[in-house]
Amino acid sequence: MPSPSALQSLDAGAVHLRLAHVTKRFGDTAAVDDISFDVPRGSFATLLGPSGCGKTTTLRMIAGFYDPDAGDIVLGGRRINELPAHRRGTAMVFQDYALFPHMTVRGNVSYGLRLAKVAKDELARRVNETLDFVGLGKLGDRWPNQLSGGQQQRVAVARALVLRPEILLLDEPLSNLDAKLRVQLRWELRTLQQQLKMTFVYVTHDQDEALSLSDWIAVMNAGKVEQHGAPWEIYYRPKTAFLADFVGAVNLVPGTVREVRGGQATVQFGERSVTVPVPADTSLREGGEVKLCVRPEALGLAPRGATTDGAALPGTVARKAFLGDLMRYWVTIDGREWIVDQPDPGASTPLDGEVLVQVRPERVHVIAG
Amino acid sequence: MGIDSRYDRRTFLKLAGATAAVAACGGATPAASAAPASSAAAATAAPVTGTISVYSALNESTNNEFFGAFRKAYPGVTVNVLPLAAAGELQTRIRTEKASPKADIFIGGSSEFHDPLGKEGLLEAYIAPNAKDIDAKFKEATGLWTGWYTGIFGFISNNDRLSKELGGKKPASWDDLLDASWKGKLILPSPLLTGGGYIFMATQIFRFNKDEAKAMDYMKKLHANIAQYVPTSPGALALIDQGQFVGCPNWVHDILTEKTKGNPVDVNVPADTGFEVGAVSIVKGTKSLAAAQALVNWSITKDAGDLNVKLSNRGSTRTDVAPAAGAPKLTDVKLVNYDRQWATDNKDRLLKLWQSTVGL
Amino acid sequence: MRSLQREPGLLLALLAVIVLVCVFILYPQIRVIITPGTGYIDFLSGGTWIRSTSQSIQVMVLSTTTAVLLGFVFAYAMVYTDMPWKPFFRLIGILPLLSPPFVVAASYLILFGPRGLITYGIFGQTISVFGLGGIWGVQTIAFFPFAYQLIADVLSRSDARLEQAARNLGAGPWQVFRSVTLPLSRPGLGAAILTTAIYVLEDFGNPALIGGTFTVLPTQAYGLISGFGDLPGATAVSTLLLALALILYVAKIRLDGGRSFITVSGRASSMPRPPVPVVLTWACFVACLLLAVVILTVYGTLLVSALTLNFPNNLSFTTKHFEYITSDVNGTALQNTLIFGVVAAAFSAVFALVAGWLVERGSWPGRRVLDFLLIMPAAIPGLFFGIGYATAFNEAWLDWLDRGVLIIISMIFWNIPVGYQAAVAGLRQIDRTMDEAATSLGASSLRGFRDVLIPMLGGSISVGFVTTFVRAVTTLSVVIFLFTSGTTVATIRIFQLVNDLNWGRATAFTVADIGMAILALGGIALLSRGRIALGAARA
Repeated sequence: MPSPSALQSLDAGAVHLRLAHVTKRFGDTAAVDDISFDVPRGSFATLLGPSGCGKTTTLRMIAGFYDPDAGDIVLGGRRINELPAHRRGTAMVFQDYALFPHMTVRGNVSYGLRLAKVAKDELARRVNETLDFVGLGKLGDRWPNQLSGGQQQRVAVARALVLRPEILLLDEPLSNLDAKLRVQLRWELRTLQQQLKMTFVYVTHDQDEALSLSDWIAVMNAGKVEQHGAPWEIYYRPKTAFLADFVGAVNLVPGTVREVRGGQATVQFGERSVTVPVPADTSLREGGEVKLCVRPEALGLAPRGATTDGAALPGTVARKAFLGDLMRYWVTIDGREWIVDQPDPGASTPLDGEVLVQVRPERVHVIAG
Repeated sequence: MGIDSRYDRRTFLKLAGATAAVAACGGATPAASAAPASSAAAATAAPVTGTISVYSALNESTNNEFFGAFRKAYPGVTVNVLPLAAAGELQTRIRTEKASPKADIFIGGSSEFHDPLGKEGLLEAYIAPNAKDIDAKFKEATGLWTGWYTGIFGFISNNDRLSKELGGKKPASWDDLLDASWKGKLILPSPLLTGGGYIFMATQIFRFNKDEAKAMDYMKKLHANIAQYVPTSPGALALIDQGQFVGCPNWVHDILTEKTKGNPVDVNVPADTGFEVGAVSIVKGTKSLAAAQALVNWSITKDAGDLNVKLSNRGSTRTDVAPAAGAPKLTDVKLVNYDRQWATDNKDRLLKLWQSTVGL
Repeated sequence: MRSLQREPGLLLALLAVIVLVCVFILYPQIRVIITPGTGYIDFLSGGTWIRSTSQSIQVMVLSTTTAVLLGFVFAYAMVYTDMPWKPFFRLIGILPLLSPPFVVAASYLILFGPRGLITYGIFGQTISVFGLGGIWGVQTIAFFPFAYQLIADVLSRSDARLEQAARNLGAGPWQVFRSVTLPLSRPGLGAAILTTAIYVLEDFGNPALIGGTFTVLPTQAYGLISGFGDLPGATAVSTLLLALALILYVAKIRLDGGRSFITVSGRASSMPRPPVPVVLTWACFVACLLLAVVILTVYGTLLVSALTLNFPNNLSFTTKHFEYITSDVNGTALQNTLIFGVVAAAFSAVFALVAGWLVERGSWPGRRVLDFLLIMPAAIPGLFFGIGYATAFNEAWLDWLDRGVLIIISMIFWNIPVGYQAAVAGLRQIDRTMDEAATSLGASSLRGFRDVLIPMLGGSISVGFVTTFVRAVTTLSVVIFLFTSGTTVATIRIFQLVNDLNWGRATAFTVADIGMAILALGGIALLSRGRIALGAARA
């Protein structure tokens, strides 16, 4: 039976998929350990995490390939734990595409419609429409082994989309493609999702992919959801050091809380201290250990002696790397290396030697513990 | 033979359907039955009528004419013959079918195969009127089985190889087979697998007046000369026909048949030999007792005996039936004092004794 | 398993399979196993089984090794090389399965006996095929087709990409074979070894005729029935055989436990296999040709016997043997054989596939038990399978049951193991995401099985159909306790003629039986548009 908490306050309009206290064990290890989250309707939702974190297991529970040992899965206001996989309306796109080798492209794409006993005319219309939609209009009579990887992936997507599923599940669908094709298909998927206003649940270990595609991300680690929310929230306001590090380059500086007052905290790190805003759901106590989290692009860099607003930390450039759209500096401050990104490196001469690193306190995020 | 229950296309489909139905539910729907359409003209006032199923261990070549003659004598009886020239299998079939017997008559095969069935209560006792003409040693006292033919154990040799390799010397006694010149040239129907092989072994025991130690000593020495224990008696004959081996103790009547076919073989009967009594019995639970009894009674008539001699070269248990041309008469050969009951009762023990003696 | 509760169709299918297996495999065997009762003690203390058991194991180890090796070479040649004459070799690959009892073994004796036409007639040697060496050789040729069929099916489904990858990593052809092809064919290899070993263990005909003084368990069991009428002792031997099979089965489970042999992932590939070196192709061709010569000589002898008056003593040409075998009861026997074989093979192949799928893809408790029960019939000598049926189903209340139907059912379940093994081995090579893809598109498990897996398992179905058919039309021992005068079959007639020493008629009947089987298989291959091929290998 659904636990009351799973259904209570479920706004079917806003929340499309809800996982409440879902657990899956394989033997003694919990692959997914008591996770809960809501996926908003019409969003591109991504489960992000390193391999073995439980993200694929979670996706497969949503699809119905695994039964959760505990917890509820609610789709569109309906608890689906007991619903057989083939009745869930959760079409899936697989990492290996899983195209049926004995059916043509058209055969693959029409398979689900044939199962649903869709009338012949409508079936043909929808298959053609979908094939055109994914740019495979001319390849309907090909066999899967006559297609490139990218084309096979499009067939896999078309095969799922043509059913107009309640929700589309994608299991690392781009990981078998080369980098350029990956980026291209990424945008195609995003455009597709926005045109269809369909809810996608996407699994990936690639944080670039996650950040660039998603409306909503849940980062998983060791069977737990570390944090979920909008990409920028995950990026700039991570709740744990693991998260901060996993979703991109970051400066994590250990410090000690010296004073908390009026939503502001003064944190001492090394010989220095900075006064930063306290995140809404974080409670800090004086004397507590924290980590200061600053993204490299949120820092400024100036020659020693320049006038700066905010705190300016004197340091020395250890090395730098030209990355095209930005210049990345590694600056040693009090024996610790900081990463600082400067946009538009072509606009000025690169800095070297003694520099000042500018820290704007409102761009510093505090992670407790 | 009156088997007209062929599977035509329609029956085939029914059969397929029935298999599906039975396979699907484990058996609950009546299957299509391919019952023989009785074409017997029942107009004549035959005294005996009925349908009997006969488990026959007789030779293939005997079955057709033998039962054909019976049908002529008893036109009211429909005979369905299940031919299987392996009495042991038929005996086992009758045992496994005891919950719902499918046979009415068990005919052919040495009485050793009938006797245990009688003891187990699977046979119907019947003392046929014609049994008065049969010597007591050829029939079971209470009529559980009746002996109607005899077979004598003799020796087959391949003419060509015998003259070249053994100077044409046929064994006058079984002891002659121990001669080293026979080494690797002799075969024997397996005492474990064939009635004939067992009778041969039991014969040796009777030859030494039931001194089992002496008999086993003989079997052990003989074993040194045996190249192969053949799983069927006829199979051994074929090997001699082909000249694969030179000689083999075997049934005289079967050897004669092989010789008549033109195979380069000959028969002789060594002294102190054994013999079998071929039996016929009625299976308990028969629904056509009168017809079954008619067959038993007919089998021991002179006519049936003459016909069987003609068809199979076997002898008859009736003294007024002449043996086949070239076949010895039971009274003309030197027979061992064969204690059939003892041989039957001690079969398991003796075969195990033999096995451990020769190490097989 | 909860998915069973959610899909009534699946639950129903599983229950049906369990009930059928219990009724038609387990129950008759239990009836056989309990037959001896205290007879087990007498039998085991008698000690006559020790020698035949050790000799059985000896024959099994030797013959299985060579038969699987030969089967592998044959399968490799058929699937990997582009050697010529493949359709011919495909026929050679099933011919030895078409060996009605006694006749083929007798043909070996005529050719290779002490006065054999080849050993003595051509080479002047009196080396005899009798004994261990002879059984070993004959069993190798008789049983390599099982290994060939199972291995070829698996090899033909292996992924060229893996082999290309290995070549790409610098592996030579031999290394590719050793490090990729061979390990990935392990499910087929395991199934082949288990099946061959069990069938060798169970075989009666060849050791009986060629064994000489070399007794194995089935010959002992047959002897106990045929010569002693000792049913308890014989069934004790049969139980011993089952115990040996159980040991083999457990060994196999431990051998390939838990590994992945997936070669068919969801990604399609049009990559060809790396070419096999020309030398290897021709070596394979020569090896197959030599084997073909031996097999054709043995079967050719049968044909010559069938067309001569009294082979080998009178070689005048005649057609009278063939005239005889089409007359009355004999024609019926041939017809029955064909019908029983086709019906049994069709049901057996389908049932094996469904059962294989339920066991391999399911995760319900007790599936190991079902797995063993489905392999067990291979270890039951046909004689005891028949006795089991005769005992279990010869009840008065079952008298309505047509004997033809009962014979067909016995053939279906006695021959389940090969098709079942092929189905399991095939499924183990297909990635589960294929099933899941179908499910996520709205197909129930059963539907996905039908639409996606079955078309991908064509070879396995073919293996099940062909082996069941071939064994059904050549088995004597299962039928011998079940047939009636109206349901007699070719092998019963052949047995009769052999015992009547009518070698010409017996061989004519054998030739007709084999010829009919080949024609039927050819016809079915045509009707199914190649989906059920003569033999498994799809080159």
